[in-house]
Amino acid sequence: HQVLRIKTKNEEEVKQLQLLESLEHLELDFWISPSAPALPVDVRIPAVRVQSVKAFLESHGIEYSILIEDLQAVLDKEKQDMAESAQRQRSSSFDFGAYHTLDDINNELDHLASEYSFVEKIQIGQSYEKRPLYVLKFSTGGTNRPGIWLDAGIHSREWVTQASALWIANKIASDYGTDASITSLLDKMDLFLLPVSNPDGFVYTHTWNRMWRKTRSKIPGSVCVGVDPNRNWDAGFGGPGASNNPCSDSYHGPSANSEVEVKSVVDFIKNHGNIKAFLTLHSYSQLLMYPYGYKCTRPADYAELESLGRAAASAIQSLYGTTFQVGTICNTIYQASGGSIDWSYDNGIKYSFAFELRDTGRYGFLLPASQIIPAAQETWLGLKKIMEHVRDKPY
Amino acid sequence: AVAVGYVRYRRGGPGRGLELRALRRARRQDIDDVGHKYYLELELGDVLDKDRTVNCTAEVLYHLGHKNTAPEVQFSVEGELRSTEEADEEFYNRIRSLEKELVAENIPDSHGNIPQELEPIHLLAWVASGYLIWQNSTENTHFHLAQIKHVKQVKRSDEDLQFDYVVLLHEMVSQEVIPWEVAVLWHPRRGLRVSRDRRQPGHTPG
Repeated sequence: HQVLRIKTKNEEEVKQLQLLESLEHLELDFWISPSAPALPVDVRIPAVRVQSVKAFLESHGIEYSILIEDLQAVLDKEKQDMAESAQRQRSSSFDFGAYHTLDDINNELDHLASEYSFVEKIQIGQSYEKRPLYVLKFSTGGTNRPGIWLDAGIHSREWVTQASALWIANKIASDYGTDASITSLLDKMDLFLLPVSNPDGFVYTHTWNRMWRKTRSKIPGSVCVGVDPNRNWDAGFGGPGASNNPCSDSYHGPSANSEVEVKSVVDFIKNHGNIKAFLTLHSYSQLLMYPYGYKCTRPADYAELESLGRAAASAIQSLYGTTFQVGTICNTIYQASGGSIDWSYDNGIKYSFAFELRDTGRYGFLLPASQIIPAAQETWLGLKKIMEHVRDKPY
Repeated sequence: AVAVGYVRYRRGGPGRGLELRALRRARRQDIDDVGHKYYLELELGDVLDKDRTVNCTAEVLYHLGHKNTAPEVQFSVEGELRSTEEADEEFYNRIRSLEKELVAENIPDSHGNIPQELEPIHLLAWVASGYLIWQNSTENTHFHLAQIKHVKQVKRSDEDLQFDYVVLLHEMVSQEVIPWEVAVLWHPRRGLRVSRDRRQPGHTPG
């Protein structure tokens, strides 16, 4: 089938074409009907008629040009293009049920920030190897509203945490406006989410050693690399439960906040000045803990934190039956000094909790990707319980 | 973890991965001049049989001052675990009929995947890790099998299957991931024996 564009010079020629149009047996499909000499006439001609129509036009001296030489080819190509585009649409939608590289994660952060007006990507610093530390800020307005801090991936091998953080970010963003609880939460408070707290370590787990935990900073005087970023906070720094051996996976570092990844968060939180909850994700063991880790005594707010912890664990269990043990770090896991939630608690952030996500050792750090979304879903219920409490109990 | 590791070593196989479902009760007794004895009531289950649990009582004795000897473990299991006779025979025959010796690495892989046909190899390593955990634990360690780094089958002239593993053990308290070489013999009726093991020498500083 061809499509011709006919340029009529006068009324006479227009009349000829109108005659042609009336001959229904020709099955001519006029895309632009003949009306006035100045206007072009576009007509689709079935393949078998092409020769005879052209002969007709030529014999009457009517000018024409070929707009589309082979209509079927054009249609075929368009169909192909559409299929490819649909494919691209589907795959450019982020797969939250899979593990991703740092670049893919950062792209998704950009995507979330561009899709939702109340989501902004901010940079709070950079890692030892100069990778940006990106935080998603969820804010529906106000000036310096009370804020909630949530981080993941401080220990790079704990892959389910970065993956869950992405799912949670998307969940909060997409449910604002429809979920009553999230809506009222973000209408009163801001949320700051750092999905990859240790990007250097994370890249290292993709490229060299899946079991890498620490940062990648060079330690003066040692061949060993990296500091355990969750022993590097200024809370009982250097005490029991951290190693002073640079080659150890729980090396506390040369001094508190020596790791830029830690210092950047400390500075951000201090400068903000109005953070009311500090929540951090780890794996594995299925635990929900509050301070202290550096000492084995109970915090002043023990009763409230224990009760809130139990409520959160109960919420987690309600979804898939996954049980989380609740307690202080020292009682539940081990004595560990220089930890982040001990620092935040001792700096006035009452609601400080650390989660250890799935599982309990069968897969450990190598949790199958098929468990990412269930883990994220149940963890979110626990986080939500805590956030609702923070929202309703301002201090 | 020591108790579970020991039970896993004694009762596990390529068709049975024993895990701790719940700790019902635990009590510690300090015995003068001897050591610390733990009395435990556990609920165990087979990872391949979600609906069934068995009760287990165990006693673990850590000898005072004998840092290099394994704790003594005694246990009894109440109830029956799913039979693995058929699966064991099938696994045994499959491996025996392989033309080339089986070689594999990174089980599970970085994304937590284990190919279906390698699942028994993984469970066998889990059983062997039960032995390693029992032999190398103190009251201040908590080991898990993190990953099989490498496994190589070694064909034998007798009826046993032999697999030489390099496994990664994750120790929770120090957070170290420790490579360990362990050679494992297995037979459907004779069960698993560890023929040799050693902590892999050398160190990856990063």
